[in-house]
Amino acid sequence: MGTLLIVVIGGIGSIILLLHLTGRSRKRELTPEDARTAWHRHFPEDQIHDVIVSRDGHSGLVTTDQGPGLIWSFGADTAARHLRNFDFVEKTNGQAIRFHDFTAPRVDLHLAEPELDRWRQIMGLA
Amino acid sequence: MTGTLDYPDVVQMAVPLFIALILAEFLWIALRRRAGRYETRDALTSLILGAGSIVEGIVLGFVAWGFFMALWAITPLDLGTSVWVVVLCFVLDDLRYYWVHRFGHRIRWVWASHVNHHSSQHYNLTTALRQTWTGTFTFMMIVRAPLILLGFHPAMVLFVGGLNLIYQFWIHTEAIGKLPRWFEAVMNTPSHHRVHHGRNPRYLDANYAGVFIIWDKLFGTFVPEYEGEKPDYGLVQNLGTFNTLRVVFHEWVGLFRDVTQPGLTARQRVSYAFGPPGYSHDGSRDTSQDIKAKHLARHPEDAGTPGFE
Repeated sequence: MGTLLIVVIGGIGSIILLLHLTGRSRKRELTPEDARTAWHRHFPEDQIHDVIVSRDGHSGLVTTDQGPGLIWSFGADTAARHLRNFDFVEKTNGQAIRFHDFTAPRVDLHLAEPELDRWRQIMGLA
Repeated sequence: MTGTLDYPDVVQMAVPLFIALILAEFLWIALRRRAGRYETRDALTSLILGAGSIVEGIVLGFVAWGFFMALWAITPLDLGTSVWVVVLCFVLDDLRYYWVHRFGHRIRWVWASHVNHHSSQHYNLTTALRQTWTGTFTFMMIVRAPLILLGFHPAMVLFVGGLNLIYQFWIHTEAIGKLPRWFEAVMNTPSHHRVHHGRNPRYLDANYAGVFIIWDKLFGTFVPEYEGEKPDYGLVQNLGTFNTLRVVFHEWVGLFRDVTQPGLTARQRVSYAFGPPGYSHDGSRDTSQDIKAKHLARHPEDAGTPGFE
């Protein structure tokens, strides 16, 4: 049992270190076209009216026929949720969107003026 | 009656091999530019789930073992332990696996355990280890009961089950394309299992096989990998967290919340627990059947193609 534990911990550690050192920890960067395609991957029935992407490229605000939605970098991939039941929280180093969703509890944003104002407007917070 | 029987715990023995093959797959993808992707946090979540799954087996294994030995005590049948009996047991246990796996996709109570395995947006050998911590609570051990009552010793049943899981490790890869036709015709392969992990409408609820793909062909759930559409991995609604505990328990939490919400009939509550994933009392969600139908409504040209036949 002790040997198995060492093998497991050592093995996991080695794999993760190798992945990190070879750049596999990089977060996906989105362009508006990426965000549009990615949104359709998550919500194929939505009609997209507009897409804006944050300056850091790690999140996008999508305006759809179902209302606004957030798409964000999730490791090398994306995750997305409609902005229906959420809190927008200002932090010292950015903002956070808290979905009331066990499967997507929080997304950290790093929006600076003037994009922050625009995002607040689209999210209906202005 | 066969008394105490001991087989090695082959899954635990295979752990060093799993680690070595993951490293080999990663290097093969990185250096030889094979298909496939790795991402650090996704891989870490998968590996932690794998380790936790082994712990769950050690801690809670006595539940299934006790149940199986109780059945063994009452059956008058004992097929013995010859090689041919082991082979037969392996084949019948694979048939058992097919049905448990099918239940795992069609009954939300069982899906709540199995969903973890499908929750990665990647498909590589770490995904193979992304296993449930809550399998005991699905009570799917009951599906093994006929094997024991037919006279296969519980230790043998668990042994061949372990071999079955080890076989399935290597098929969790994009780095291997289609294999020779004779092999693809009978065995579960990376191609067949990529389909199973696909969240594309055409690939939903297909290819439940463990080792032999013949069960899917027999029971009408086979879909070949379609050259016109690469599998897209993950869940219909992908998770937005790498947190291990949220990954493990999210569907159980959702199930509990749905079943206990006010204003439902008893039938609706039971349907939330045991109906297909995506069932909703008010039509606000989609089952996989709904997803396929909506896709065809948007893309009628796909009618008659794999997954829409």
